[in-house]
Amino acid sequence: MGPVELLHMSVFSQSFSPCGRFLAAGNNYGEIAVFSLSAALSPDASQASQKPILNFTAHDGPVFSLLSTDTHLLSAGNGEISAWSWAELIKKSTKAAWTRKPSYETSLEIPEINAMIINPKDNSLIVGGGDNNIHIMDMETGIFKSVLKGHTDYIHCLCFKEREEEILSGGEDGAVRIWDSRTNRPVHCIEVFKYEECARPQFGKWISCLATDSDWMLCGGGPSLSLWHLRSMSPTSVFPLPGCQREAVFYQDLIMSVGEGPHVSHCLHGGTVKAQIPCTPSSLNTLALNLKNTEHRVMTVGGSSHQIDVFTNFSYRAFSLSF
Amino acid sequence: MSSDAVKKRKPKVIRNEAGTPETKRGRAEGEQSVEMEERRRQCSVHFITLKKLNRLAHMRLKKGRDQTHEAKQRVDVLHLQLQNLLYEVMHLQKEISKCLEFKSQHEEIELVSEEEFFQEAPAEISRPHVTRDDHHQLTLARLDWELEQRKRLAEQYKMSLARKEKIHKAIEQKREYLSSLQPGLQNIMQASLPVQECLSMPFEQMQKQAEVARHLPPPLYVLLVQAAAYGQACDKTLSASISGDVDEAKALSRPPEDSQDDESDSDAEEEQQNTKRRRASVGVQLDDKRKEMLRRHPLSLCVDLKCKDGSVLHLFFYYLMNLNILTVKTKVSTTTDLSGAVSAGELLNSESLLNCLYASDHGQETPNPTNRYQFDKVGITTFADYVSDLGHPYVWVQKLGGLQFSSDGAQVCVLMGSALSASHMERTMKLLQGRLQARLALHKQFSSLEHSIIPISGECQHLFPAKVVSGLTLVPVEQELGFVQHVLKAGLLRETDLFFMAVVERGTARLLAAVVVNPRYPEVMPLFSLSLHWKGERSGRTEDNLRAMESEVNMFRAELQGPRPGLQLLTNQIQRLCVCLDVYLETESQVCDGSEGPKEFPREKMCLRTARGPSRLKPFKYNHPQGFFSHR
Repeated sequence: MGPVELLHMSVFSQSFSPCGRFLAAGNNYGEIAVFSLSAALSPDASQASQKPILNFTAHDGPVFSLLSTDTHLLSAGNGEISAWSWAELIKKSTKAAWTRKPSYETSLEIPEINAMIINPKDNSLIVGGGDNNIHIMDMETGIFKSVLKGHTDYIHCLCFKEREEEILSGGEDGAVRIWDSRTNRPVHCIEVFKYEECARPQFGKWISCLATDSDWMLCGGGPSLSLWHLRSMSPTSVFPLPGCQREAVFYQDLIMSVGEGPHVSHCLHGGTVKAQIPCTPSSLNTLALNLKNTEHRVMTVGGSSHQIDVFTNFSYRAFSLSF
Repeated sequence: MSSDAVKKRKPKVIRNEAGTPETKRGRAEGEQSVEMEERRRQCSVHFITLKKLNRLAHMRLKKGRDQTHEAKQRVDVLHLQLQNLLYEVMHLQKEISKCLEFKSQHEEIELVSEEEFFQEAPAEISRPHVTRDDHHQLTLARLDWELEQRKRLAEQYKMSLARKEKIHKAIEQKREYLSSLQPGLQNIMQASLPVQECLSMPFEQMQKQAEVARHLPPPLYVLLVQAAAYGQACDKTLSASISGDVDEAKALSRPPEDSQDDESDSDAEEEQQNTKRRRASVGVQLDDKRKEMLRRHPLSLCVDLKCKDGSVLHLFFYYLMNLNILTVKTKVSTTTDLSGAVSAGELLNSESLLNCLYASDHGQETPNPTNRYQFDKVGITTFADYVSDLGHPYVWVQKLGGLQFSSDGAQVCVLMGSALSASHMERTMKLLQGRLQARLALHKQFSSLEHSIIPISGECQHLFPAKVVSGLTLVPVEQELGFVQHVLKAGLLRETDLFFMAVVERGTARLLAAVVVNPRYPEVMPLFSLSLHWKGERSGRTEDNLRAMESEVNMFRAELQGPRPGLQLLTNQIQRLCVCLDVYLETESQVCDGSEGPKEFPREKMCLRTARGPSRLKPFKYNHPQGFFSHR
């Protein structure tokens, strides 16, 4: 990796290992790097411990989504999904456990896969991407059992409501669609840009981030980041953040979101922006919280830079991992 | 006197005796006188006995003394004898040891061994019947034999000397004969000059050059030999020649005593002058010392490299004697007139033409570490001040001259001298030619870029769509460009790089591109940084799509460099930049600021999807020959 390549690198996805001691990150060159958090967070950490312990090319195209199950790391790039065993990765072996492709209708351009989530109830993998459809794959057999069609433009983000077993998807067409995972039928469709409080026509109508917490839903993108009450299907608070948000999470009583602009925004449920913490990349694509491991409870963000910022105390940046 | 003492005592005794019987005095006066007479008689007899005893004592004493004396004398004599004997013994012992240590000279002569002697010596000398028993005779015989041998050999030696003299004389005669031939040969050479020219075999010229080359300092000689060899073998376009003052060079190589005398004389003169002028010219003194240190050898080498299009790169190599380094100056002569491109004036500037021929070889500092100490003595802080005068001391120039300095990187090079020069010659010459061609091509491209024409050669047409609307102008560089900071932070912009600004315009949109061109273009790709002024200002740092455009132009060298020497790289990059701007502006129809109306830039490019991925990037990749745009 020469200095020019590093200058033009963007980090699109991150995932923590099941034990919580390792971080995998995917970039726009199709590479996945595995960092050792325990080494980077230990008291005698040096420059070398902020470099990846393993760096390999996983896909031809950018790795837009990474997901960790109990044993495997799933990566999505250029229309295919590959699985890598975490145990093998820690031992620095880069052989994929399996690679599968959902069936696409278009043949001219390969659609990318932007989001992946797991339905723990029936152990299935739900992916959404460039062909405007949501594909559901059974993890044990590897067969793609159903396709959810409804969006008119490509899908940016997915999330899953455990209690009602519903899938939420947000896309470029500005709609948030809610699907029932048992019957695979659409339940609701919310067009966020039609609501005046949220809409920002100067940016556009696409929805690029979704998050749910029991009855509440966060969504944002072209329209402002807003908190919705799902039972009443109406926005309760709108967050006055300047850029377009790409990822948002609920954490305890805070909402943390990243997007355009070199900062992580901390917001309260009421609609106020509590803090904006500065980071190294000039715009951020992904935010990840390591909640599985109490010793290494960190937040990491990555974006248009080859560096991934690590926050040990969520109020300020501690150090950066570098590809 | 004892007799007197006795006499005196006596009367006392008498008186005492007489004292006591005082009552009897009157009556015994008569008895007293008889007694007194008796007593007097006894006294005298006692006196005489006393004297006799005294005398006897004396005599006895004397006798004893005499005896002692005699005995003593006897003992003394014996003692003397003993000592004499002892001395003699010692003396004899010394003599014996001296005799034993005596080494006769004959033992220092190396004699032949006994067996050899008996074998070689004739019978009358060896006399075996006598010598086998008697060691003394044997030694004598051996010495005789030695003497005879030596005499014989001395005679032989005299004869050989005489012969040698004769041969010496004969050689002298022949030499004289040969030297008399020399003028004759010269005449023949002169006469054959026209013949040589006719046949184009310039022996005369080469010989003259070889003659001058003898006076070259060693590094320049190595360079000349290797360059001429390379030129003959591989590259007919290379030619090397020597220029400079041969007489001065000859003067330099005179024996050192003369020069030392000169130095001491000049020193003395200097001192004299100093005392006269009261040291008013310390600065001038230092200046003179500096000039002396930086003196060039009077002879220099000129190497010409010709390119296919007729332009020539002239390299002048100089040798700095006291610093033991080579420097080079350049000159480019072209067949066409090159004035015109304003922003490209730097490209063929002789100061910077050969910068960084090998990575990080700037030629501003001397590569010889010992020079540091020499500079300290005369107060030179940086060699860079003198570089424009003396030429650039690039590391590859030292290697071509066979000079190897220990600071040359971590590799240990085992080659020295000619081997070092030969190993670098081919690569360096190729790099030099490549550099000249690249710069000339760049110069031409710049002249046409300044007229807003992007010259795309036929082989590269397939990289771009048929219609490109955006137009280009070159502008002078303004200071303090904010959107270039990231390049500075990454350490990719250096002093030696060429920096210029291009503006691509279409309608109301204006894209500024700051371009950094490394001196090693086209081995190193030029780096573009973008800033767009259209409905606000955005740069590659604030917007992901502009960043994607930057990576589209800055990377993908294999696609952009075109046919082999890769000289089309910069123009292809600029053309691609224009194409990307077209795509960006035409796909920006998503943005609606609420106002209806015709879009400023109608969609003309064919794209399948206008956004892809979480950052919604535009399709910048052009597919040939289908002619549509897709994402990477």
